[in-house]
Amino acid sequence: MRNLFEFLRKHYFYFLFLLLESFSLFLLVGYNEFQRSSLYSTSYILSGSVNNLFSGISEYFSLRKTNKVLIEELAQLHSRLPEAFYKTDTTSYYQKDSIISLEYKYISAKVISNSTNKRNNFLMINKGKLHGVQNHMGVIIGNKIVGQVVSVSNHFSWIMSMLNKDSRISGKFKKNNQLVNIEWNGGNYRKGQVKEIPKHIAMLKGDTIITSGNSDIFPEGLMIGTISDFTITQDENFNNGTLLFSTDFNSLGYVEVVIDILRKEKEELKASFK
Amino acid sequence: MDVTSRTVFLNIIRFFFLILLQVLILNHINLGGYINPYFYIFFILLLPFNTPRWLLLISAFFLGMGIDLFTNTPGLNAAASVLTAFARPFIISIISSGPESLIGDTPSLKNQGLKWFLNYSISLVLVHHFTLFYLEIFRFDEFFQTLLRVILSSIFTMLLILISEYLMYPKTK
Repeated sequence: MRNLFEFLRKHYFYFLFLLLESFSLFLLVGYNEFQRSSLYSTSYILSGSVNNLFSGISEYFSLRKTNKVLIEELAQLHSRLPEAFYKTDTTSYYQKDSIISLEYKYISAKVISNSTNKRNNFLMINKGKLHGVQNHMGVIIGNKIVGQVVSVSNHFSWIMSMLNKDSRISGKFKKNNQLVNIEWNGGNYRKGQVKEIPKHIAMLKGDTIITSGNSDIFPEGLMIGTISDFTITQDENFNNGTLLFSTDFNSLGYVEVVIDILRKEKEELKASFK
Repeated sequence: MDVTSRTVFLNIIRFFFLILLQVLILNHINLGGYINPYFYIFFILLLPFNTPRWLLLISAFFLGMGIDLFTNTPGLNAAASVLTAFARPFIISIISSGPESLIGDTPSLKNQGLKWFLNYSISLVLVHHFTLFYLEIFRFDEFFQTLLRVILSSIFTMLLILISEYLMYPKTK
């Protein structure tokens, strides 16, 4: 027994190293989403408030850009008002129908930490559970997509950006509704990969890719990007392409969280079929 | 204050300063899209030679966890930092020809000279960046792309280390 203690004492440096290293790796690998959100929601209070303070200062430097984004969006919304349409007759159409009701709600939030330079990028926003944010909700900026919520605490949420190896967005060609998958291979944060483009589709540079609305995360028709390059592969069925993201991930100031009001109903419907 | 408690105090300040510098400023820098300096391990490099080995490992662990807290990557930076701290005594003994080369209390450009300091810091930075980047992607199908990131980021980190060494010990003639 004494020899054992002697042995441990003599080589404690190795044992302590193994202990700390395996604990770190355990945290890294053996940690599932649930544990992450429960333990880290406590630590968000610290990291969230530090980030909040810092972004409160840096916010002033991007006011001009924020204004520009807001004005562009305002113009888009104006163009959808009834006044913007040319009226051919005097009777206006009034819709009163319980079938057509609100499907999506939006919560605005400020980005308080963001990265584009890692292989897996995340954002933190200053809205959380108390404001109605939940896991798996989509995050957008204007009519462009940003990412999805992966972890929520009371006041903050953690967003997996599209610039992440685990991110896969279901999109489609605007011109013919053909479905594709959008991923990011690392490297340039402006460029993403379009996977599984059916062979028979004639692509052109500049073709627009929008969200398909199939994933329950994003509404249909949000901008993802435009095709900048494509390769004809050896594969029998599919080609690949590169797209230029519409979103500038490096300058996100304010974003919106998409709340799908009918999500529960959709999920229940799916679950009932399994 | 005597010398020991002054050193301890200085290192504690440096610990928190480097974490904040890393998460608030350096993590937002990206050159060429995805080159990112991890300057915070400068703390491990600058610990005194006579730091107890257990303290070396423990402080590296908390340094890494401090960064992980802000990046939501539990264990990632901690694993890389602990491995770096573990490698430190071995690297020092490999690159030092004898105890006479260990002048002064802490490793520095001024005390040990440029060649020794470059060997020392490049080895440790590479150990750290290798571990960090490969653990981050956790698969090998982007091997060369990640290798490029390791090398370019190491160069960036080394530049910051050398600049701060020259700022801390301006040449006195």
